[in-house]
Amino acid sequence: MYPLVADNNQGYQDNRAKKIPIDHSLMPPCQAACPLHMQIREYVDLVAQGRIMEALQVIRSGNPFPSICAYVCTHPCEDACRRCQVDNPIAIRALKRFALEFGGDRMIQAEAETRHPEKVAIVGSGPAGLACAYYLRALGYPATIFEAHSELGGMLRVGIPQYRLPREVLETEVQRLTQMGVEIRTNTRVVSLDLLFDLGYKAIFITIGAHQSLRMGIEGEESPGVIDGATFLREVNLGLKPSLGNTVAVVGGGNVAIDAARTALRLGTHKVNILYRRSRDEMPADPAEVEQALEEGVGILFLVAPTGIKRENGRLSVTCVKMELGEPDASGRRRPTPIRDSEFIKEFDTLITAIGQAPQTPADFHVSIGRGSTIQVDTVTLTTNRRGVFAGGDAVTGPATVTEALAAGRLASSRIDDYLQHRYPLVSKEGSESVSGDLLPETIEMIRKTGRLEPPILPPGKRRKDFKAVELIYDWEVATNEARRCLRCGMGAEILFQDKCATCLTCLRVCPYHVPYLDASGTIQIPDDQCQACGICVAECPAKAIVLRKPYDRRQITEELDHILKSAAQSNLKPLIIGFCCQYGLFGTGTLASLWRGPKAGTWLVPVLCVAKVEADHILRAFEMGAEGVFIAGCGEQCARENTAFWVRERVEKVRRTLVQIGLEPERLQAFVLSTTNEDPAEGIDSFVEQVGGLYLASVIMQEVKS
Amino acid sequence: MIVAEQKPLEEIRRMIIPYERVLILGCGTCMTVCDAGGEREVSFLHSALRVAQAKSGNETHTFSEYTLKRQCDPEFLDVLDDKIDDVDTVLSLGCGIGVQALAERFPALPVLPGVNTSFMGMAKELGVWDERCAACGDCRLEETAGICPITRCTKGILNGPCAGTKNGKCEANKDMDCAWVLIYKRLERLEQLEKMRRYYPMRNFRAIPRPKRITSKISVDVVDVGEDNG
Ligand SMILES: Cc1cc2nc3c(=O)[nH]c(=O)nc-3n(C[C@H](O)[C@H](O)[C@H](O)COP(=O)(O)OP(=O)(O)OC[C@H]3O[C@@H](n4cnc5c(N)ncnc54)[C@H](O)[C@@H]3O)c2cc1C
Ligand code: SF4
Ligand code: SF4
Ligand code: SF4
Ligand code: SF4
Repeated sequence: MYPLVADNNQGYQDNRAKKIPIDHSLMPPCQAACPLHMQIREYVDLVAQGRIMEALQVIRSGNPFPSICAYVCTHPCEDACRRCQVDNPIAIRALKRFALEFGGDRMIQAEAETRHPEKVAIVGSGPAGLACAYYLRALGYPATIFEAHSELGGMLRVGIPQYRLPREVLETEVQRLTQMGVEIRTNTRVVSLDLLFDLGYKAIFITIGAHQSLRMGIEGEESPGVIDGATFLREVNLGLKPSLGNTVAVVGGGNVAIDAARTALRLGTHKVNILYRRSRDEMPADPAEVEQALEEGVGILFLVAPTGIKRENGRLSVTCVKMELGEPDASGRRRPTPIRDSEFIKEFDTLITAIGQAPQTPADFHVSIGRGSTIQVDTVTLTTNRRGVFAGGDAVTGPATVTEALAAGRLASSRIDDYLQHRYPLVSKEGSESVSGDLLPETIEMIRKTGRLEPPILPPGKRRKDFKAVELIYDWEVATNEARRCLRCGMGAEILFQDKCATCLTCLRVCPYHVPYLDASGTIQIPDDQCQACGICVAECPAKAIVLRKPYDRRQITEELDHILKSAAQSNLKPLIIGFCCQYGLFGTGTLASLWRGPKAGTWLVPVLCVAKVEADHILRAFEMGAEGVFIAGCGEQCARENTAFWVRERVEKVRRTLVQIGLEPERLQAFVLSTTNEDPAEGIDSFVEQVGGLYLASVIMQEVKS
Repeated sequence: MIVAEQKPLEEIRRMIIPYERVLILGCGTCMTVCDAGGEREVSFLHSALRVAQAKSGNETHTFSEYTLKRQCDPEFLDVLDDKIDDVDTVLSLGCGIGVQALAERFPALPVLPGVNTSFMGMAKELGVWDERCAACGDCRLEETAGICPITRCTKGILNGPCAGTKNGKCEANKDMDCAWVLIYKRLERLEQLEKMRRYYPMRNFRAIPRPKRITSKISVDVVDVGEDNG
């Protein structure tokens, strides 16, 4: 029809040439809540696009042992997820696990080279110690881990049961440390730090955890048949099979209590009862774990506390008292008080106490100890009272979580680096500017409600028999659909050029979510905590004053077009057809996947993150580049955002009218937006390609007839 | 606000034939609001002209684009000083005022109107604009309950409604509300129906001299010194 336009005619203040690289996106609440500040929004979005390998890269860059977190993280991110206000939070942890499994995390090799002479000793190999070793090696320091037990991992190994964290997973991660050249000394309990300094270590990181079980302080606690939860789990995890008898009581309401109870079941105990002194609402254990325990047949007696234990005829006779809840205490939970004359006696074979742990620091460490037997450190430098001695993890915080321990280890590595390089620690401002505030009711109303999609779990009957992992992996489609539910908090629209805004109110009128508003001074505002980042207003603003906060979202289409122009000119396949294809859902992973991988002869695809971001001008530009046909393919009714298909049709109609004025057949432009799940988009696109081929041939013949 | 409509592409293409280098010049105020000539439309027209040129195969225009905040005051045009040397014409997507401001400011430069300036009005809804004021220079909205019969009555009569009103619609256009029925209803609501009963004398449009000028200057006379227009 006509040659590719080669001259790139640049105009004054030409938007085509203008690039805006600044990232104005704000930290989403999920990321702010994550102790490691992982880029959750980013990897969830990549999963939604089916770009699993890239998702894995993002995950790996923010977490030294992501597969461990993928199994056991208590996911504070999900509690903070703003989707809670709409329906349920995004299944962030499960999606991470999906990305790790499908992305082939197991294959990834780690390496590191030594760049500094200063040796660092790490005392304890829990998550905090492992993370610190990992990052110290990455920084180039020789690092040695000293571990009292025969195997690495701390509570990951001796606390958390295998059905929640398969040992291969731990093994693979620990393996990477060896690959990186971390020296490992197991069966080595450190009793004195001076010795380590004498051995030439220039800095020491203490991460000895909190392994000392708290005592209930009741009569008979020392009786045989009474065992503390941490010890019980350690024995099981190290391969012993403690005999428990037929009936077991577990005292406590936290995750350790639940783990002990479920482990007892798996050892063949007939009846396991948890005794908890408050009600279900106050239980600190993860509700999902509690649910699974109940499914497996664990019984829970709420508002019950033991007051005395007697050993009679080889069994335990436990006196219990009923409790009632009073005023909230310091932890914000209601304080339980015993009900007078409500004592009753229950018999058990074994009683496991799981009411908390505290660190136990050897006196010869000579570090100062504070509340709850925890080691005292400076909050910025993480140093103890001793020079060159740092501490972190449960030993400093008291019993906490794996991810907090990992974060402590990572922070310690950079503080140790600062110390060894005689630098003042750089205090990062991470987490300072995060999106907050509740979604407005009118915005919530417009967000499509798609309930949370969970990965499958083993049926309870199968679970009780052994220690196999309970949670299975998502299948591909369910995972991508779950990921698409993310509201992409903090990466929405922004009026970057206030001076250009003509206050035309277009954005206010087109936004499906009622986000932009006119403030009292007559200025249009797009609140960053409400915007759903659909991009409709960006494309519709007649002043081109609005951009999306992530440069990635903004530049992509124009850059892809430029790229295609170059490749198409080289390949010279005719006719040239350009398709703008949504990367989410169907087109990212489904039917059109084949088109993605190897474009058909002459058909070039511009991947877009939702067709709502394709502007009328982009379409025209595709024609300008010499395309004989242009199509747009998106999810329509299946789109996670509102109204996107409508705007595609509007813009297509506008461009078609212009094509007619130019003397081009409007059929050269086609939109494929799916309305039902059954439609086969590939078929429609195939016949479109054929049709354009026909038009092209006709025009070639015409040309030859003329000449 | 001033409302306009972009001219058909054919007409624009015909206008630019004599000129090789064309600067497409947008207006960031009214023309942006009415979708006729803001930065987005400037870009779109730019692309459309280039596609059309590629299709025709025998034209050799070079196009450039720029959008001013406003075209209707000479100070806004100063930034064009070093740009117009490189172009043979400016295709203005400003309203008629903008085009004339350009012509006055750059005596030697051909300026082409890219839009048909249509009326003064407001958006009824997204993408739909209605005329509201004819700039008659003698506003009577106080008597007509804030509804202008000159623009909104097809016949522009001052003592309506005429005999053709039916079910509140206009006889000339059955989809359009009769302005005088609207006026009646609103006066009723304001309890000012007596205004309906008054007779308003015909206006003598011929008596209004054109072009009009308004001056808020108190001490100095504005003198038009023989304008050098080329
Ligand atoms: C049963 C159980 C279940 C849990 N489940 C979860 C969960 O699902 N999700 C979650 O996020 N968190 C969970 N936690 C909490 C989590 O495991 C801990 O917060 C985390 O492991 C703390 O890491 P750490 O590195 O500080 O210490 P630890 O993991 O406790 O590791 C400390 C290590 O130091 C070693 N050590 C101690 N003293 C010395 C010494 N003198 N010399 C050499 N080595 C020494 C110990 O042997 C141990 O290996 C659970 C805890 C328990 C007990
Ligand atoms: S909706 Fe997405 S970005 Fe927002 S908090 Fe949840 S996971 Fe994070
Ligand atoms: S659409 Fe653009 S020009 Fe119009 S009010 Fe919104 S930001 Fe301003
Ligand atoms: S990007 Fe979408 S949700 Fe955000 S303000 Fe614009 S139209 Fe509304
Ligand atoms: S040039 Fe015309 S359209 Fe532009 S601001 Fe002035 S009056 Fe409005």
